[in-house]
Amino acid sequence: MMPINRNHSSVAQRDVRIKIVGLGGAGSNALDRILLDGPPAAELVAINTDIQALTGSVAAEKVQIGRATTHGLGAGGDPEVGYAAAEEAGEEIRGAVKGAQMIFLCVGLGGGTGSGAARIVAALAREEGALVIAFATLPFTFEGRRRMTQAEEALVALRREADVVICFENDRMGDAVAPLAGIQEAFTMADQTISQSVRAIAALVQRRGLMHLGFDEIVTALRCPGEIAPRCLFGFGEADGDNRANDALARALKSPLMDKGRLLDGAHNVLVNVAGGPGMTLNEVQILMEELNRHIGDETRILFGAAVDPRLGQKMSVTILSALEATPPATVVTPLRPASRAVAASPVSIPPAPRVSEPAPVVRAGESEAEFVEPPAPRIADVDSDEAVAAPAESDPLRVAASAVKPAPNPKRAEVKQAQMQFEPVTRGRFERSEPTIVDGQDLDVPTFLRRNVKVK
Amino acid sequence: MARDHIVVGLEIGTSKICVVVGETRGDGTIRILGVGHAPSRGVRKGEIVDFETAGKCIREALVDAEEKSDVMIGSVYLGVTGGHIESFNNRGAINIPEERDEICDEDFEEVQASAREVSIPSQNMFVHSILQHYYVDGQDGVLNPIGMLGRKLEADFHIIHGVANRIKNSVRCVKEVGPEVLDVVYNPLAAAQVVLDQNQKALGALVIDMGGGTTDYIVYVDGAVKQSGSLPIGGDHMTNDVSLGLRIPMAKAEKLKVEEGSVLLGESRPGEMIVLKDETGFAGKEVEREMLNTIVHCRARETFELLKRRLDGEDIVPYLGAGIMLTGGCSLLKGIDHLAEDVFGTPAHLTHAHAVAGLTSAFENPQFSTAIGLIKYAEAMRPERPKSLFTRVFRKFSFLWMWF
Repeated sequence: MMPINRNHSSVAQRDVRIKIVGLGGAGSNALDRILLDGPPAAELVAINTDIQALTGSVAAEKVQIGRATTHGLGAGGDPEVGYAAAEEAGEEIRGAVKGAQMIFLCVGLGGGTGSGAARIVAALAREEGALVIAFATLPFTFEGRRRMTQAEEALVALRREADVVICFENDRMGDAVAPLAGIQEAFTMADQTISQSVRAIAALVQRRGLMHLGFDEIVTALRCPGEIAPRCLFGFGEADGDNRANDALARALKSPLMDKGRLLDGAHNVLVNVAGGPGMTLNEVQILMEELNRHIGDETRILFGAAVDPRLGQKMSVTILSALEATPPATVVTPLRPASRAVAASPVSIPPAPRVSEPAPVVRAGESEAEFVEPPAPRIADVDSDEAVAAPAESDPLRVAASAVKPAPNPKRAEVKQAQMQFEPVTRGRFERSEPTIVDGQDLDVPTFLRRNVKVK
Repeated sequence: MARDHIVVGLEIGTSKICVVVGETRGDGTIRILGVGHAPSRGVRKGEIVDFETAGKCIREALVDAEEKSDVMIGSVYLGVTGGHIESFNNRGAINIPEERDEICDEDFEEVQASAREVSIPSQNMFVHSILQHYYVDGQDGVLNPIGMLGRKLEADFHIIHGVANRIKNSVRCVKEVGPEVLDVVYNPLAAAQVVLDQNQKALGALVIDMGGGTTDYIVYVDGAVKQSGSLPIGGDHMTNDVSLGLRIPMAKAEKLKVEEGSVLLGESRPGEMIVLKDETGFAGKEVEREMLNTIVHCRARETFELLKRRLDGEDIVPYLGAGIMLTGGCSLLKGIDHLAEDVFGTPAHLTHAHAVAGLTSAFENPQFSTAIGLIKYAEAMRPERPKSLFTRVFRKFSFLWMWF
């Protein structure tokens, strides 16, 4: 390690003053979580209409808004009430956010206080000269259409006011939790993700790094122009042990908002911060970055920061932050796999011979995951066109039927990277040559998880 | 002096061929001298699909066994299984002839013949007629009627039959390699002899032998065989599922299943990955543990559910006092006993052969339960042994002279 002359006292003065503001119920929960995970080098402020929630919050500073509007009873899920409450308490909010160079605004969108007040809090903070990074959550789909609409509207408004908005979809965070886990764990996971991201960015800014990442770099990485909120990619991983560089990166890529690193390919900027104890070696950093580079496109700009933090001891951590320009929701990568999987599940009526599965997409593609919005037909077109390359047509009448269904193929979709496009013909594998075992109309030689449409990623 | 008698059991399995050489003492105890095994190729779902290859593998296993036990193998007891094997219960009844009122041995033969007067498919042959209960003049609970007075003798039998040609194929295959086949035994029956003790049979138990090609089962209620059968689904299917689901070659899938397979869901951390090392030792592909477990779980659950459906018709589960015993290669999967408990609603235990002396490592391996059971069965069938209830229970109809 190069000996670097550090004058710690002067560095300390460069410490950035950060305030973490929790707005509304979800915001308060996030604050609680942040404190639970270890006191951050920042001040905590809670803002709410609900006086009861406010009293129970762990924040040092509390601001009640909408005293006259709601009489301390909360916004009742109505953003207009939240907005009015924030307008009413404008000066108090301003007082709370004053003096900080960075404001992290944690808010859960969809309800009343958060959705209504977020834009005002952000605007006021900016007026006071702070950099505003908002961490917003979008409700679970099961919470209903109305909440989602309110959340989306609030998000658009917030994006206009805040410097950066990092948005987490609760649905996606549910993926990170084991299927049998209780709902409490699912919500805790959401809070934890926010907590980790807040902590990671605060650390990025605060740490005496070997290579320091400044505000502007962070903002550049995270901001995307345009009305539609960018899809935020955030990953955090920490590991110790022999293989800690790879393990930490692997965990970071596994973060719920990282989509296994697949989408990093399309990002313009990626912000990476690697931190470790004094024993961290250049070699490890290299390993990590090389591995990360495999997931990143050639055009992507990498903003790299590294820091040595004695508190980490044997551990090594990596934080990855990026934003993808928004594309219409239907182009989400994952749903195509149901088609390929469905193709593999040969319906029973077809005699056991390879490559008979073309009809399956017509039948099955309707059962895609929740986020897939568009009708199944176009999928078959894509599937078919690739299939035409991969395998000669086996059953012509079926393909005619399938192609008759397809509308004009959407060119944009074809560009999205698909890992599973070539799919093997089905699927009796080892049992190709043996007599099929038919029970209750099902061929038991076909894998059970296929026949039962069990989601296997 | 009763000479120690060498007995050899041969099981032609889907994943392995197993030959167990044992020695039966005059006092009835059994000692394992050696276990030979070889990977099995040419067998699918418990049945031979490639005659030549299977023959080669059998030879390999026999040679291995001969080396390990230092015994020349001249004859074997052959275990058979396969989805084609079926079973049913039937009662035979005869009237004792007027002249005498004492029940004797011939009566037993006749009542057995009477029980077998049931039509089975023309291509099938009987494999076993297993005695369940006697009734003398309608009175049940009779353990041994020989010597009793009575007018009418009835007996319940559990009759096992299968497609003749398939069974004969296995026998021919063995004979081509060398040894004589002294008898053909249905696999789960053999396994049950060493996996269950008398007490468990009396309490009622279900033995599930989860092998590579088939899942064999046998049910004991009140000390008698109530049901038996085979599902043509086994560890092979699981490996196939894993191979197709994770898109890895079969060999890797097999290794992965054996080393890391678990049927428990929700037990691994989200995103926990398993690294598959390739031949050079470098980390190759990574697969998600939860995915592997899900695939294996689905197949295992389905197998148990199919089995449960087969048994449900008889409403068996309440009679299983000793619960379920799992044996066979697939019983080594983590959590399989919990899954079985979940599906059947009754306690399940992992077991292996016991009550034999000799090579401990051999019989503690559940994959060898069936082969070792063949030895126990053979021991019971020895002609020198005094005719006992046990012998009568397993009395097969004249099977052997079909070959000559």
